Amino acid sequence: MYEARESGLHLLHPLTKAALALCLVVAGLVLPSRWTGYFLVLCVVFPLALWGKVFTPFLRSLWKVSLPLALSLFLIQSLFWGEGEILLSMGPIAFKKEGALFALVSMGRILLVMADFILFAMTTRPDTLMISMKQAGAPSGLAYIIVTTLQIVPRFQNKASTILDSQRSRGLETEGNIFVRARAFAPIVLPLVLGSLIEVEERAIAIQARGFNSNKEETSLIEIPDTKTQRLTRQALILATILSIVARIAWQLLN
Amino acid sequence: MAIVELKNVTYKYPLTDSPILQNINLQVNEGEFVAVVGPNGAGKSTLCYTIAGFVPHFFKGELTGTVEVAGIESQTSTLNEWVLNIGLAFQNPFNQISGAKYTVYEEIAFGLENIGVPREEMKARVEEAMKLTGISDLADRSPYSLSGGQQQRVALTSILVMQPKVLVLDEPTSQMDPIGTREVFGVIRTMAENGMTVILAEHKVEWVAQFADRVVALHEGQILLEGNPQEVLTSDLLMDNGFGISRYTSTAREAKKQGLWKKDMLPVTLDDAVEGFALTLPSPDWRGKK
Repeated sequence: MYEARESGLHLLHPLTKAALALCLVVAGLVLPSRWTGYFLVLCVVFPLALWGKVFTPFLRSLWKVSLPLALSLFLIQSLFWGEGEILLSMGPIAFKKEGALFALVSMGRILLVMADFILFAMTTRPDTLMISMKQAGAPSGLAYIIVTTLQIVPRFQNKASTILDSQRSRGLETEGNIFVRARAFAPIVLPLVLGSLIEVEERAIAIQARGFNSNKEETSLIEIPDTKTQRLTRQALILATILSIVARIAWQLLN
Repeated sequence: MAIVELKNVTYKYPLTDSPILQNINLQVNEGEFVAVVGPNGAGKSTLCYTIAGFVPHFFKGELTGTVEVAGIESQTSTLNEWVLNIGLAFQNPFNQISGAKYTVYEEIAFGLENIGVPREEMKARVEEAMKLTGISDLADRSPYSLSGGQQQRVALTSILVMQPKVLVLDEPTSQMDPIGTREVFGVIRTMAENGMTVILAEHKVEWVAQFADRVVALHEGQILLEGNPQEVLTSDLLMDNGFGISRYTSTAREAKKQGLWKKDMLPVTLDDAVEGFALTLPSPDWRGKK
């Protein structure tokens, strides 16, 4: 997902970006207005994407991920909303206004989380994230898992399509009605899962053979530039995040 | 002096009834190149994992006997101490890539980061190791964009850079095409020439014969035969027990029955075969044109 560019956003310390991303998501969820999500995406995430010189690929990814979700959310919420003002009806099917509104509000929040995550992943090299997490005291196992997860999705897709093709070439029917598709599920998913488990075991051996679990203090090849301003910004962002959660809970309790 | 010493080693994987290794006694001297051959399921990989400490530390199971490398005993030390003395590479190059690094250069530095080598020393060691294995030109590539042979060379370099005392290679070329095989064996040759202690499990006996100081033939978890590569690899015992043997050996064996092979020893490599057949085949024209 990472897009290499020379931009101020790319040069920020990974943890500064992570803190900003966290703060934004929390703000979108706890601020009282129902439209905060859209507001933050338009007024904060989009300008950041422009600054990071990744606006076009960012928008493309966001569109691809959010469109199916938005459509299904809208259909399900507006069709199955219990009581409400009917916007449009076709025979037994009726779209309800309250449901559509609920979908729109939820979508704003989901959009914020997705936009936030996509921008973060696009402008942060996973290995620098791993190093900075370790420097901040996170256990190296955790840092490794987070980073490899970011890289594993395309490899997993590749493997799945190889398995799909080879099962098809052995005569497995993968197209047709829902029952045909359901039958094809096991022969595709089982090899994928079993193969991945074997891969995980081998990789565990390979990285341990290279001293992954060694108790020695780790060093890093890449230097990650950090400044006092950024450190202070990070602390402020995290403080703001915690405070806004506390404020929201307090507000909820008082009302 | 023996740097690797296995005494009466018997090992059983968890949840299995019969031992995969039975009463193995093996000594490897410093600087020696020992090849382990054997059919599938003979226990080659398990033997490699045992020397590398993953048996029993990682796989659990029951191990009896003693495994000693560089004067330390496997069962009384932890895996983390143990791996520092030993470099392990295995079949699938893809699974040996850490998955956390962007370039080959950084991938090779991964192990050094883990054991806390200072940055300047790290760079010097990475560059030296890449030069040794001839992959300096790949430094800025992504490890995932490489061919199998290149990936395996990166995996070998990632281990060499850690300066292990013993190198354990478990069929490093089994998933390679002929070009990849040649590339990887080029690196193995360099290691052997540099006096590294190497234990190599390998099917491709023609290659084994070129490097190994000694060959160990493993069969059903036991050492069937051990000794000079030429003698072991051409022995009838191997052929009778389903070992892979070189096509040159089997050709010369047939020729011998017809009286067309005059030498005592059967060949393992192309060069030996050419040399031997040159003694018997009538026309001199083709000689020297191999």
